[in-house]
Amino acid sequence: MQSLYLLIPIALVFCVIAIKLLLWAISSGQYDDLDKEAWRILADDDPAKPEPSTRDRSTPAPNDD
Amino acid sequence: MPSQAEARALETARVCFHCGEPVAPDLDLSVVIDGESRAMCCQGCRAVASLITGSGLENFYRQRTNYNERPESQAPPNLEAFRVYDDPLLAATFSESREDGTVEVSLLLGGVNCAACTWLIEHSMNRLPGVSQALVNLQQSRLDIRFDPAHQTLSGLFAHVHNLGYRPRPYHTSTARKQASEQYRADLRRLAVAGLGMMQVGMFAIALHAGDIQGIEENYRALLRWVSLPVAGFVVVYSARPFFSAAWRHLRRGALVMDLPVSLAIGLAFAASAWATISGSGQVYFDSVVMFTFLLLLARFLERRSQQRQLFIWSDAESSLPSAATLQRNGQWVTVPRMQLRPQDTILVKAGDSVPVDARVLQGNSAVKEDTFNGEHLPRAVAAGDTIFAGTVNVDAAVQASVLVDYKDSRLAALQRSVEMAQHSKPRITILADRIASWFVAGILLVTTTTALVWWQTVPDQAFWIALSVLVISCPCALALATPAALTNAAAALRARGIIVRTENALESLSGCTHLLFDKTGTLTQGLLTIAEVRPLGDMPGAAVLATAAALQRYSTHPVARAFSAIEEAPGGVDITYVVGAGLEGYFGDQRYRIGSLHFCREIAPDFPATPERGLYWIGLCRQGAPLAWIGLTDAERPESRGVVGTVREMGLHIELLSGDSSAQAPLLARRLGIQTVNSNQSPQQKMAHVQALQRDGAVVAMVGDGLNDAPVLGVADASFAVSGATDLARSQADFVIVDGNLEQITETLHKARQCRQVIRQNLAWALGYNLCAIPLAAMGFVPPWAAAIGMSLSSLLVVGNSMRLHRGTPCKASTC
Repeated sequence: MQSLYLLIPIALVFCVIAIKLLLWAISSGQYDDLDKEAWRILADDDPAKPEPSTRDRSTPAPNDD
Repeated sequence: MPSQAEARALETARVCFHCGEPVAPDLDLSVVIDGESRAMCCQGCRAVASLITGSGLENFYRQRTNYNERPESQAPPNLEAFRVYDDPLLAATFSESREDGTVEVSLLLGGVNCAACTWLIEHSMNRLPGVSQALVNLQQSRLDIRFDPAHQTLSGLFAHVHNLGYRPRPYHTSTARKQASEQYRADLRRLAVAGLGMMQVGMFAIALHAGDIQGIEENYRALLRWVSLPVAGFVVVYSARPFFSAAWRHLRRGALVMDLPVSLAIGLAFAASAWATISGSGQVYFDSVVMFTFLLLLARFLERRSQQRQLFIWSDAESSLPSAATLQRNGQWVTVPRMQLRPQDTILVKAGDSVPVDARVLQGNSAVKEDTFNGEHLPRAVAAGDTIFAGTVNVDAAVQASVLVDYKDSRLAALQRSVEMAQHSKPRITILADRIASWFVAGILLVTTTTALVWWQTVPDQAFWIALSVLVISCPCALALATPAALTNAAAALRARGIIVRTENALESLSGCTHLLFDKTGTLTQGLLTIAEVRPLGDMPGAAVLATAAALQRYSTHPVARAFSAIEEAPGGVDITYVVGAGLEGYFGDQRYRIGSLHFCREIAPDFPATPERGLYWIGLCRQGAPLAWIGLTDAERPESRGVVGTVREMGLHIELLSGDSSAQAPLLARRLGIQTVNSNQSPQQKMAHVQALQRDGAVVAMVGDGLNDAPVLGVADASFAVSGATDLARSQADFVIVDGNLEQITETLHKARQCRQVIRQNLAWALGYNLCAIPLAAMGFVPPWAAAIGMSLSSLLVVGNSMRLHRGTPCKASTC
C-alpha cells in the first residue's frame, strides 16, 4: 500500500494535464458549437456527385413529414 | 363560399416539400428529389430545391429535422444588390485579409435551423472555385469562409448562400456578441473543471467511504483527505465563484437570493472539511461540495445555452433594410452602400424594393406597403411630395425621392429604440424559489446558531460538529435544483413539439398570465389576401370572372395579385397595362377590360354599382360599357384560430385583439372569433403602452405576434410568442417561437407551463418538507454525517426525477423529428 504515496500524486498530475488540455481546447474554440458536432460525425464526409439512379431503390422514402 | 372553404381544407394536405407551407391547388411545380417528384409551393422553393439536388446534395433532405424557410423573393435573386459588398471599404468591416493572399469573411445566416443546414452550406460552399474553407457555427448562425479573392468575389459568395435559400448578412463583431461568446467559454471552462474535479474527488471519496465501513489505517485516510483538499479547493475557487459573487452582489443590495444558501453550503461544507482534514478529526464532505457545484453549473449552463442562441440570431430593425441603394450622382444612377446616403441625396426606389431611408417623393406615383408599422397588407398610395419611410416596400412603380434624414432619425430607428426600451422595462418576475430563499436563509442561520448555543451550554466539544451537520443537512441542493430542473425539462419537451423556448423563465410568467393578446394580420389570419366572394353583376359566370381577373393580374406585383396566382388564366389577354393607384387594363380580342377601383371601372362602365357593404376588400371587374363582377378579398383567418381562442378562454384567460390595422376587418374578425376587446389602428408604440397599462393594473400579459411592428410589444409582454414566418426582429424579442405556425401550439405551451409550475411547487414542497423533518433531527444530534450525505443526494435525485415527468406524454411531432 506504500505505492499509494506515489500513484495518487501521479494521478493528480494526469488530472492537471487533462484539465489544461481541456481548457486549451475550449479557449481555441473547439467547443463553441456543441450542436453541430454531435450530428456531423454521422454525416457523409463528401457526398458523391449526382447519381440519382443508384439511390432510388436503396433508400426507403425519406421521412418528409 | 362553402365549396372554396372545403377546397382550402383539402389542399392543406399538400405541403411544399422544401418549406412545409401549403401548396395552392392547381399549382404544378415540382422537383425530383431522390427519384420522387415532390410538390413545391413557389418558384423560390423550386429554384433552391433544384440547386440542392442538382449538385448532388439531396442527402440534406433526408437528414434535416425541420422544414426550410421559404425563400424571400419569388423572383430570381437580384445579384446586383450583393455587388455593394465588393466595395473594399464596406468589405473591410467584416472581412480580413491574411498573409497568404486569402481573405477570411464572416457572414450571419438567416434561416439556419438544424445541423443538416450546416452540412448543406459547408459542402456547397466548399465546391465553389477559390473557396478553401467554409465552416458554419450553428449556435451563432455564423458562416466563416476563407477564399482567394483572385478566383472568387464576396458578392459571389453572398449570391450562392442566397441561392441555397438562406439569408446572408455581414457578421459584424459587436461587443455584445463578443461578451456572450466569452461568457459561454468561461461557463464551459468552469463546468469542465468541476466535472473533472468531481471524478477525482469522487474516486477518493469512494475509498474513504469504503474505509469507514471496513476500516482504514489512519495514515491512508489522512493521505486521501489531503489529496482531496486541493482538488476540491480548486473547484470551489475556480468553478463555484459565480455563486459567491452573485450572492455577495445581491447581499450588498440587501436581497437574499438562492445563490446565498448555495454559497453558504459550498463554503461552509468546504471549510468544515478542510478543518477536519487539518485537525485529523470529524468528517469530510469534499465529494458533496464538488458534485453539488457541478450539478448546479450544469443546469445553469444548459439554460444559458438556450438563451445565448437568441443573442446570436439577435437582429435589429436596421438589418431589414437593403444594404445597397441607387443614388443619383452627377446625372448617373449608381449603386452605393446604404450607409453612404446623406440627406438631400436623390435616390431611386424600384418597384418591389424596400425603401432604404426616410425620403420625400420627388417624382413618380406608386404605393408603399407599410406593414412594418401597421401590419396592413394594402399599400398606401404615394405621389410627389409624400413621405416614404425606411423599411416599407415600394409596390407599384419606381419613384425618385429625396433623402430626408439619416437612418438614426428615421421612423424605423424609432421603432428599434422602442424595442430596446421594451427590453429594459420588461417586468422581471421574482422567481418563486428566490422568494423562498430569503426566508430559508434566515431560518437556517437562526436554527444553526440556536443549536450551537444550546449544545455549547450542555456538551461544548460536540457543539461545532452538530451545528455543522445542521448546515450540511439543510444544504439546499434540492431547493436550488427545484426550479431549473423543471424549467429545463419543460423547455426540452416543448422543443420536441416544435416550440423553441428562448427564455425559460417565461414559462413561469406564462403559467400565471391573465391576459392573452393577439395581433391580427399573420397571427390570427394567414397574412395573405384570398378570394372570399365573387358577385357577378352581368352575364359572366363566376369561374369566367376569376379566369379573366387572373389573366389581368398576371404580371402585377401588387399584394392583391397574389390572390389570383393559383387560378388558371383566361386565354387571349393582351396589352395589359398597369395604372398606378387604380388597377389594370387589358384587351381580350378587341374588348377592353378593367380590374381595380370603383372609380377606375366607372370610367369605361359608367353604370357600375356601388361597393357592397360587407367588410371585405372589394375590387371591380368590367368590360367596356358592362359591369361584370365585384370580387371580395379577405385575409382569411387561420383554420385553428377559433378553436385556440375558445380553448384559451376556457382556461380562464382574458383575450384581446391588438391590431395595427385601421380597416373594418379587425372588429369583424374579433366578432367571428368571439373576442370582445378589440384595439385597432395601434402604432407599435401604442401597442407597447397598452400592454404596460395592463401590467400596471396588475395583469400578467402574454402576447402573440409576427411583424416588425409587434417587436416592441413582444419585448415588453411578460411572455410572448412569435408565429412562424415572423420577422427576425419579432423572433428575437419573443420568448417562444412556434416553428410550424400552428396556433394550437399556444395552448400546448400554456398547458405545459401550468404543468411546469405544478412540478416546481411539488419540488419546492419536497425540498422544504425534507429540511423541516431533517433539521430538527440533526439539531438534536441524531443524524450521523453519512446519513446526512445520503439524504441530501436522494432528495436532489427525487427533484430531478420528478422534473423529468414533464417529458412524459409529449410524443415527438412528426414534422419536427
